[in-house]
Amino acid sequence: MSTARNIPNDRGLTLRMFTTGLLLVLLYGAVIGILIAVGISYAVVLVFAAALLFVQYWFSDKIALFGMGGRLVTPEEAPQLHGAIDRLCAMADMKKPKVAIANTDVPNAFATGRSPKNAVVCATTGLMRRLDESELEAVLAHELSHVAHRDVAVMTIASFLGMVAGMVTRIMLWTGLMGGFGGGGGNNNNNQGADQAVLVEMAVLVVSVVVYAISFLLTMALSRYRELAADRSGALLTGQPSALASALVKVTGDIGRIPTRDLRSTESFNAFYFTPAIAKTGVSISTIFSTHPSLDQRLAQLAALEAEMGRPS
Amino acid sequence: MGLFDTILGRTKPVQSNLDALFGLPSAAITLQSASGMTCSGHAGVCFKPPTGQGFTDMEAEVVSLLSMDGGTGISRSEDSFGYTWLVVEDQDIESLVTRVHLVNSSLSDAGWGPQLLCSVFGLATLPTDATAATGSDDAVEGATVGAGAVVPSTAYLVYLFKRGTFYPFVPTGHEQRSTEEEFRLRSLVADDLHVESDLDRWFPLWDLPVG
Repeated sequence: MSTARNIPNDRGLTLRMFTTGLLLVLLYGAVIGILIAVGISYAVVLVFAAALLFVQYWFSDKIALFGMGGRLVTPEEAPQLHGAIDRLCAMADMKKPKVAIANTDVPNAFATGRSPKNAVVCATTGLMRRLDESELEAVLAHELSHVAHRDVAVMTIASFLGMVAGMVTRIMLWTGLMGGFGGGGGNNNNNQGADQAVLVEMAVLVVSVVVYAISFLLTMALSRYRELAADRSGALLTGQPSALASALVKVTGDIGRIPTRDLRSTESFNAFYFTPAIAKTGVSISTIFSTHPSLDQRLAQLAALEAEMGRPS
Repeated sequence: MGLFDTILGRTKPVQSNLDALFGLPSAAITLQSASGMTCSGHAGVCFKPPTGQGFTDMEAEVVSLLSMDGGTGISRSEDSFGYTWLVVEDQDIESLVTRVHLVNSSLSDAGWGPQLLCSVFGLATLPTDATAATGSDDAVEGATVGAGAVVPSTAYLVYLFKRGTFYPFVPTGHEQRSTEEEFRLRSLVADDLHVESDLDRWFPLWDLPVG
């Protein structure tokens, strides 16, 4: 399978994404195995987590829009934004998502919604103010690629295990703190059953902490690979990798300059963002804890694509 | 898009469907007999120019190829969304379609099919006083406008490459369109052309460079 002008698929990226996905599936299998071995008592947790995730999945568009203060806009209100999305959708032969604008000066854009039919693409007023037309179009193409790749669904499923492990840890800590780990407070020295229960609970706690850590790292890795994939597809759709690169530089530079305080409220929505809104002043956060690849990595990929397209036929 | 592509997060660029264009001449004849509207002799091909010299060279080749074959005008312009329009003029609808197809197939054959957005064909109402002067029967014969008669387009048929479908577009003023007129046109050409059934995809094209 080749793309326009025989630009090959990025084998390395595909391979890394596949490996990460495989590891996540293996982890799922191991956890379900352990749950069955320990007893079915944690089925309740599983069901509860599944219900939570389902809500998050089903209402992802509304939750994200509400959280960001995004408002759906008509073509009459935002003709430029609608026009650009209309054209990109016609070129990619995809259904047009709903279009929203968030009234904030933080320059960013996000796509949400469980399926291409329910998708919403939202740009902030800060983004539209800072970028020129071709840069804005590049960002929109990146977001439309997220929609086409069904990234909300994929990441929701991928983060399920981490969420369960996190919940188990929290429940264990709570019940452990309140009940003194199975009631073994010293007055039942001979009660071996209670000791065993404590051991089992400790084991579950340790396992869920480990599972949480591993699944967290894997989910972050998957998210980074999917960002790179969306960069790639978006750049191929517009045919102008450099426009996306320059938008990235502008937006990232701006985000870096904004004080950290104002950004705290937006951090929980990072996963669907164009660039993460975490200010990295002072401490350099290692990339493995990040939902987005480093700017250098994204720019390098786009530069390689640009070189590929610029070659005379 | 298959499950595997979803899991691996990739999309295949959509290639263009070019052949449905050839239904246009018969649609033009139907339109003329049913509504007095005919092809205005202007058509535009819209595409997103990708970066790189390879494309620029090829575009220049296409333009020179088109101006060589003795046809009338060809012009190039850019719109506010960063798309390029190659506007072709030819009063004969058959050769207009052929020339538009030449542009499309050249781009597509060079591997730039995914960059094609749409082709737009202008429609115009025949001036009734002109038909009175030349005799009303002559004007209806064949879907052509008399040579030299410059009739500005008032309605357009937009061809979506990726879908292989047409939709009518009737702008009526600043960012306003007549949906009523568009539906009327749709019913007229429905037998000859494959009309886009998803109304969400009938996107407006304001400030068309197609005369």
